[in-house]
Amino acid sequence: METYTYVNIFETKGLEYLLLISFLVLFVILVRYLSTPARKR
Amino acid sequence: MTQSPTGLTAEVRRVLRFVISELWPKGPLLTPFNLISVPVILLGIGILAVRFVYGLGSVTNLSQKYPWGIWIGFDVVTGVAFAGGAYVLTFVVYVMGLEKYHPIVRATVLNGLLAYVFYAGALVLDLGRPWNVINPIIGNSFGYNSVLFLVSWHFMLYMLTEMLEFSPAVAEWLGLKRLRNILNSLTLGAVIFGVTLSMLHQSGLGALFLMAKPKIHPLWYTEFIPILFLVSSVYSGLSMVILEGTISHRVFSNQLDAAKHHQFDAMLLGLGKGAAITMFVYYFFKLLVFLHERHWNLLGSGWGVWYLVEVLGCVLVPCVLFISAVRTRSTGLLRVAAVWALFGILLNRLNISVIAFNWQSPVHYYPSWQEIVVTLTVVFTEIWVFRWIVVRMPVLREAHELPRGGSSVARATV
Repeated sequence: METYTYVNIFETKGLEYLLLISFLVLFVILVRYLSTPARKR
Repeated sequence: MTQSPTGLTAEVRRVLRFVISELWPKGPLLTPFNLISVPVILLGIGILAVRFVYGLGSVTNLSQKYPWGIWIGFDVVTGVAFAGGAYVLTFVVYVMGLEKYHPIVRATVLNGLLAYVFYAGALVLDLGRPWNVINPIIGNSFGYNSVLFLVSWHFMLYMLTEMLEFSPAVAEWLGLKRLRNILNSLTLGAVIFGVTLSMLHQSGLGALFLMAKPKIHPLWYTEFIPILFLVSSVYSGLSMVILEGTISHRVFSNQLDAAKHHQFDAMLLGLGKGAAITMFVYYFFKLLVFLHERHWNLLGSGWGVWYLVEVLGCVLVPCVLFISAVRTRSTGLLRVAAVWALFGILLNRLNISVIAFNWQSPVHYYPSWQEIVVTLTVVFTEIWVFRWIVVRMPVLREAHELPRGGSSVARATV
């Protein structure tokens, strides 16, 4: 029976994948944010 | 229609007479800029004479340990990044067809051309045997595997390309309409060639440092330096266009009508948007490289703090400023962000080429006062040439506004 193995997020480059996914999401948000004009006060 | 030999001779004579008449100063000579720049340029010329007679060691603090100083770190590596606006803007206007930015293309191309001529030209000052600069061109010991071989060819070809891109303005200035039409038809091809060359040598300048892995601090050394150099050259160029455009529009304001002034603010905000997005991409690249290299332990040192100053203080902060300026349509904030971003580029390039270079060495390099004076000489001379051309040629104003033979209308002129 297999024992529980701890997956090191650094060894698997998991952190880099997470960063890339956050980048893609934030990039779309940023472009939309810059494309819509600010509300007039 | 062909021109008769007599007509051609008369035309050549007219052009020559006109060029000679344009050589004379136009406008006041005793301006604050002239009073500061002329003594610096004269001193710089004297220092350069000493440098070429007695060698690099007579005026610089360069050594075998530090063969590259601020003449390379600032003039060449930073200057070329600042000149990135030309390839970005010509791509945007001629390839993407965003005509909105057309009024500032000529000034940007001229700025890029002069930056390459003076800053990349400053490379000659730093060569121990400057006469060997011709070797990569004439085929004497071609170094096909050398990044410098690529960079030198690209610099030369890109300067020729930018001359071609700017040549219609010269033809208009000389009143040569047929030649202007021929040169205009070559512009698109020149732009595509120029963008290709620029992307390669902007990254190529970064690739120069790949061979210096043991010398550059691990926080700055990465095998992705070429990509970082390329991406940062985009927002560096856009920031320079914002800054240079702002100064030009104030100094040469009488060359522009009210409609163009209003249009200019909208253009600046568009450029700021591009700069904000590119800085955002660059910031994530830096973050990704940092995670990839796993240098957490180095952040606690003095070098780590300096690294954070560069990445957080000079990339993230101006990026946020650009975003805020675009959202609030504040051109004042946009200019602050542009200057801040340019400072960040300067810091990054100097960190890689000078400050964090040989970081473990007990002896560090500091530029001599002569090196600083020569750097200022290069910058001031470029501004003098830029001003001379803008005053005389249709760079900011439309060509049809000029009478045949040209005339100067600017106030701040020489």
